[in-house]
Amino acid sequence: MRAALSLGLLTLTLAVPSVWADETCQSPYLPKITGQEDYIYVWTLGIEGLGDGSDKLVTVGVNPERAGYGRVISSVSLDGRDEAHHGGFTDDRRFLWLGGLDRSRIYIFDVASDPARPRLARTIDDFVEKTGGAVGPHTFYALPGRMLITALSNSKDRGGRTAIVEYSNQGEHIRTIWMPEGAEYGYDVRVNANLNRMLTSSFTGHENYMRNLAELLGDAEAMKRFGNTMVLWDYHARKPLQTFQVPGAPLEIRWALQPRHYYAFTTTALTSKLWGVFRKEDGSFEAVELADIGDPAKVPLPVDISLSADDRFLFVDSFMDGMVRVFDVSNPREPKLHYERKIGEQVNMVSQSWDGKRLYFTSSLLANWDGTGHEDEQFLRVFHWDEKKLTPAFELDFRAEKLGRPHIMRFGQQAFYAGLVSPAAGE
Amino acid sequence: MRPEALVAAALALLLAGLVRADAREHAAHFAHPNATVDPPLLFEPPAPGSYELPPISWVEDHMLVAEDGGPAPLPGLGSAQVGVVSFIYRGCGDASGCPLALAVLRRLDRELAKWPELAAQVRLATVSFDPEHDTPERMSELRELMQPRGDWRFLTAASERALRPVMQDFGQDAVRLATAEGEPSALLRHVLKVFLVDGTGAVRNVYSAGFLDWRILLNDIRTVQAAR
Repeated sequence: MRAALSLGLLTLTLAVPSVWADETCQSPYLPKITGQEDYIYVWTLGIEGLGDGSDKLVTVGVNPERAGYGRVISSVSLDGRDEAHHGGFTDDRRFLWLGGLDRSRIYIFDVASDPARPRLARTIDDFVEKTGGAVGPHTFYALPGRMLITALSNSKDRGGRTAIVEYSNQGEHIRTIWMPEGAEYGYDVRVNANLNRMLTSSFTGHENYMRNLAELLGDAEAMKRFGNTMVLWDYHARKPLQTFQVPGAPLEIRWALQPRHYYAFTTTALTSKLWGVFRKEDGSFEAVELADIGDPAKVPLPVDISLSADDRFLFVDSFMDGMVRVFDVSNPREPKLHYERKIGEQVNMVSQSWDGKRLYFTSSLLANWDGTGHEDEQFLRVFHWDEKKLTPAFELDFRAEKLGRPHIMRFGQQAFYAGLVSPAAGE
Repeated sequence: MRPEALVAAALALLLAGLVRADAREHAAHFAHPNATVDPPLLFEPPAPGSYELPPISWVEDHMLVAEDGGPAPLPGLGSAQVGVVSFIYRGCGDASGCPLALAVLRRLDRELAKWPELAAQVRLATVSFDPEHDTPERMSELRELMQPRGDWRFLTAASERALRPVMQDFGQDAVRLATAEGEPSALLRHVLKVFLVDGTGAVRNVYSAGFLDWRILLNDIRTVQAAR
């Protein structure tokens, strides 16, 4: 399977026209938890025949000072499988919105009432209808009083043409903005409010991301239908300003976090490149190819990225080789490979604590894209980071625990929601 | 104490930030006692009327307590009016929080004074979410500090219980912190939010640190009014 994928993606590569204690990479509107996180909420895709086979939100204890460290604290199973993928907190951090890419449902969990045991508060099951045909809610990005959501596809042809959508915190649809002509595909969205700029990236539609990967690779026409663009928006007006050609499916976007750092990073899944999007003197932006990630000819498939709070280290996970590569991006236009380590047979998501000391990795990309046989490891692996190397802290085998395929992780903390907390606690 | 000094004093008590450093720099600029110019914006705000502000949610009228102790509705707007509602508490020590909100509303109030026709359609409301400490008298003192030139109300509530439905309606959180001994302190953790409400009770925008600036607020007020 891996060899076939590499060959298929290499073919695609050639066919592409020349065209924040807290997790660091959250919405700037999200209040940060401070100090040690107590829980990691892991949005987990069910596996047929494993446990109850359903998607579930798994809460894992990660505070070594509390009971339940390294163990599953609670788990809430949903109704079947919906390609559990990404999610994010509301701007008050009381609710965690989680998306299903297959049935386009949004599951809203109350994490404030009992942070150790989130409770499903509401399910939005008319996303496609309310949004006028957007399919596959992907990124959930907190804005004041509302949630900004990117979709991946549309209900008309299930291809990559898609939209960004806004919902109120109360779960009501506000508006749908279709991606602009020439940059119709969507994936991630990130805001730099100080610059009044928003960046979006691009992936592929439901017809592709739900297909068996081997079949997809054998379909040359389908393999052409991946995004090659990023769009810079006027955030306040929600209007596109610039389209950048970034070939090979630019996925996750991370704005620099420090003052006067007016740039963002992304990686391209299919072409295995690190890109920067930089603000120029005149206020416009440029997209610049910065570095290879591994050997692009071997198609390592970079997926998730995480930037340290000081904008010094960029962690890049590549799915196919199970590697994390840490780039020193102190000089953002000249990143240097600082460290690399194999995390597992496959690896997808990476999250890091605000103090940069703890790194969390999960394994699953998409149900029909994950490896097979021994390559289909499913885990949460936790490491300590001392700016030189990663040292294992603990791991949780999601197959042995009969949970499923772990995907996105979000941080939780008991004290954050307590009615009375000491101002000194966790500072 | 002059408002600038009040904000500067709050800056000295700056707690670990809930927002990115850029926002704290923005707040610090407002807080500088000798600040005579507006903090630079790194972008040209979109022109009024060139964008849309669809309703995000709706709020009802709630009866609160005015500075004189009498009843006062929030937002209590006429159909042609626009309200800017800001929840604060006077004990706030985070310069990128309540002091920033007060400074921005004060600057907006001054700017609106230059446009009497528009100002007649705008009401500012600063509401304390700490009614136990922020009595009507304390809110009256705040008026004295701010010296508003337009329709700017300073409201509190009879009790925390009476305030709860208002907070829920707007979606404003506040949690009281404890002392090292575990006793309730005077500090509240909250997310800074300022709400733009139209005459139908529709919330047309919500602002937080990092995107709270009088120039954007003024453009949004004009945008809402232009679309009426």
